[in-house]
Amino acid sequence: MNEPSPFDAGPDAQLGAALRDALAMPFGAAFVQRVRARLVTRQRTWDEELAGWFWQGLVAASLVTVLAGWGLNHFSARDEAEASNTSVASQLLEGSTPGVSVLIASMRSSEAP
Amino acid sequence: MTGVDENGLAARASRGDADAFGALVALHEAMARRVAYAILEDREDADDAAQEGFLSAWKAIGRYDPNKAFRPWLMQIVVNAARDLRRRRRVRAADSLDSVSPAARDDPAREAGDIDLGERLRAALATLPDRQRLAVVLFDAEGYAQAEIAVMLGIPEGTVKSDVFHGRRALRRALSTVKEEWDE
Repeated sequence: MNEPSPFDAGPDAQLGAALRDALAMPFGAAFVQRVRARLVTRQRTWDEELAGWFWQGLVAASLVTVLAGWGLNHFSARDEAEASNTSVASQLLEGSTPGVSVLIASMRSSEAP
Repeated sequence: MTGVDENGLAARASRGDADAFGALVALHEAMARRVAYAILEDREDADDAAQEGFLSAWKAIGRYDPNKAFRPWLMQIVVNAARDLRRRRRVRAADSLDSVSPAARDDPAREAGDIDLGERLRAALATLPDRQRLAVVLFDAEGYAQAEIAVMLGIPEGTVKSDVFHGRRALRRALSTVKEEWDE
């Protein structure tokens, strides 16, 4: 083997091969499998978990909003009708003329099924 | 490495494709573990460091530029992981070096009774300063350019040249001793 020169620019193939053999590590496939398994578990971080629940959360929130809106509308219309009936009747009994808004509310409640 | 589109895999991995990154792990595990072993001189520690390096690279894959070579980028992370582990386990590393007797550290070839090239080389590597050892392994065994090694180790290219020269001289001496014993 020749004494190395400071002008050796390329890798020493013989030394390189001997070093690769000397430093070779066993069980490569098991190592790769272990790292790959960790990649899968690392793939879903907490923000990705949250993102995964985004669409389900959005659909649930929309359903709740629609149901709440329908319920609010339904019950407020019924209350309004009852209130208008009471007020027209009471105003007529009292001998006074019901106002325009009371009459319109009364008509709307009578049109409702 | 022939037949595998490393750049394509690296580009896919940079977009978060875990399968592509897994293929890169399979492609580079041997090299990463050899380099980690050269730094840590302990197989278990080398595996831990190489694994940590790969997982750190996966975590940082968003910062990898697909227009640049993947191998030096990955190897820099593995080298850093191994050096960090060595710092954390300095006591163990010191014990490992102490297990090579002073005579072997002066002339490892003389100490060994049987002719085992691998053992001689590992013993010779253990006598080299860390940076020299890493420079010669990365240059001669793993085929990195001196400029790439300079970036990886954060030192001037001229220093890499000098480290490779001095490291090679010590290792070639160990090799030639074995060769002489074979010839006898």
